[in-house]
Amino acid sequence: MQDHNKEQQSHGKPNKRREMTRRQFLSYTLGGTGGFMMSLPLIANLRFAVDPLLQPKAESDWVKVIDVEKITDTPTAVNFEKNVVDGWYESDKGFGAWISKDASGDVFALSPICKHLGCTVEWEKNVNYPNEYFCPCHAARYTKDGKNLAVAPAPLDEYDVKIENGSVYLSQIKPNTRVE
Amino acid sequence: MAHDHNSKEKVVYVGDSRVKKYKKNNVPLDYSAYPGNSEAFIPNFLLKEWMVGSVFLVGFMILTMSHPSPLGYPADPTKTDFVPIPDWYFLFMYQLLKYPYTSDAYVVLGTLVLPGILFGALMLAPFLDTGKERRWYKRPIASSLMFLSLFATIFLTMVSWQGYQHELEELNIIPEHLERAEKIAAGLEEPGGKEAEPIAIVNKESEGYEIYQKASCVSCHAVDLNGVSSMPSLLGIGDKHSKEEITDIIYNGFGSGMTGQAQANLDAGLTEADLDTLAGWLAEQKAPAGEEAPEEATESH
Amino acid sequence: MLKSVYNWIDERLDITPMWRDVADHEVPEHVNPAHHFSAFVYCFGGLTFFITVIQILSGMFLTMYYVDDIVNAYKSVDYLQHQVAFGVIVRGMHHWGASLVIVMMFLHTLRVFFTGSYKAPREMNWVVGMSIFFVMLGLGFTGYLLPWDNKAYFATQVGIQIAASVPYLGQYIETFLQGGEIVGAQTLTRFFALHVFFLPGALLALLGGHFFMIRKQGISGPL
Repeated sequence: MQDHNKEQQSHGKPNKRREMTRRQFLSYTLGGTGGFMMSLPLIANLRFAVDPLLQPKAESDWVKVIDVEKITDTPTAVNFEKNVVDGWYESDKGFGAWISKDASGDVFALSPICKHLGCTVEWEKNVNYPNEYFCPCHAARYTKDGKNLAVAPAPLDEYDVKIENGSVYLSQIKPNTRVE
Repeated sequence: MAHDHNSKEKVVYVGDSRVKKYKKNNVPLDYSAYPGNSEAFIPNFLLKEWMVGSVFLVGFMILTMSHPSPLGYPADPTKTDFVPIPDWYFLFMYQLLKYPYTSDAYVVLGTLVLPGILFGALMLAPFLDTGKERRWYKRPIASSLMFLSLFATIFLTMVSWQGYQHELEELNIIPEHLERAEKIAAGLEEPGGKEAEPIAIVNKESEGYEIYQKASCVSCHAVDLNGVSSMPSLLGIGDKHSKEEITDIIYNGFGSGMTGQAQANLDAGLTEADLDTLAGWLAEQKAPAGEEAPEEATESH
Repeated sequence: MLKSVYNWIDERLDITPMWRDVADHEVPEHVNPAHHFSAFVYCFGGLTFFITVIQILSGMFLTMYYVDDIVNAYKSVDYLQHQVAFGVIVRGMHHWGASLVIVMMFLHTLRVFFTGSYKAPREMNWVVGMSIFFVMLGLGFTGYLLPWDNKAYFATQVGIQIAASVPYLGQYIETFLQGGEIVGAQTLTRFFALHVFFLPGALLALLGGHFFMIRKQGISGPL
């Protein structure tokens, strides 16, 4: 035993190169091979799972929803269908919007999706809050312009609006531009 | 083993496997070697546990059978008058988000920071509460924090549930699964996932069908009898009205939506005999045996 | 007969030490309700496991009828509940069991907490137990969507919005959970995969660790 130790020391000191033992080499190789065997299938599977994150956002079409003359100062709820491709499932998905005219007579449309946690707001839903949008989930409130009064962290989103031949067309949802 | 003194002794394996053949005498001590009132896990203690389990199971099955699990109507993303409610064990989190410092600009506090701290502390409890003492009343800080969180959780859950009930009352909404269960119980709705089979037109070759095509009926009730847009369907109308009643409707109208049509059709060239044939043919429009006419046909228009 | 079968297997696989370890260990007096009635609090863990077994069984059988497709999911649930014999019971077991497993787990956690059983040397088992708790909550959340009725849809919408409020990463988490820009067909298949394969896989692994540690360390001593 002692002889063996001495031999190693005397052998090790002169040249300081740390030599890899056969066992170490095999261990590293084993680790590498194992990593390869696990990572290749994993990479494929993970890329597969996160694919929706890397998809570009779909552009949206203009959809005719209501005649201009029907729009008043009081927000009107409209429901319309838009062609939505959800993976392999293509359908006409229903959307909602609250359309009204502002003081200068311009038409604007707000998304009814509450900015707090995504429930659906309704105009004057709660009798205690006239002239406001109200969300039943956590009592979030908004002005007619969509400005957040309580609970919600941001104003209601807005639709892109276009008026053609006396009809209102809606398309993409964008952040609210009417309130600061 | 090869190094001990009996190394010459031949080790006998079972077949060519590595399981040694030996007299089983080095197995762990069994329960009888321990002092006190301890007892064997199998069968003594497990029997007691399973007796508790059986009582529990009976209660569970009674609950299961007496309360069918709820199922509302198919998901409809455009629905605006639906009051969402998570499962009951998430209610305290849900309620937590209604307070001033957990909503609005601070919503991250409510959704992430506060639950993160609470659940993080719970997860790491053994590393925070490191004293030797195990009795709860000798660990005042840990125990009081736990009591406090327990109380808060129960309180938030109750407030959330009451708020939900209150809201339903205010908006006069009956939760869908209850509404549907009632309708099913009253026979107004047939559960089971089968689409209501459209009722076919009976006796298409009849003269009555030809007259129907010519008459003013088609402008509202459509060529296929299914009703133009929201107009009532005439499919299966024979289940609702007799020939006499139909004749009466043709002459005098029905409800608020339909005026008497007879004169207009007589002016257009049909005869009273034609109208009689038509009424007779409509009265033949019955659903196949065992099927009810669709709901619409019973409503008055 | 049984004995000779056992011996035949034992000779080949040497299972006696394992069997002794599982079956023949002693159960101390202080957890035995026959000696101290208050010891019934020690039953909660076992009952949690019992319902978990019921959940796994009823869940496996539910998939014989259920389809994770937004057109047919609701119809299949409606069908299996109302048209299939014992459908009310099988779905009922899964539905009520989901609530009950949370209740029992909650009680079990409180028992462990107030008896201080999580203290050294059992810290790891507490951490594993808490992980089981979170996996169970995940199973509850993903399972809630599967019937695809309005309640399921809107509650999931809210749940995903809560996840989406995480700063910076929120929108990525949202898209990942939804499998797209809306709660739709791809959300349902994702939640189904999580509910039926990923989370139960994690659950079984954690349960294995939980039980292994209990056997290795034994139950915590009397107070």
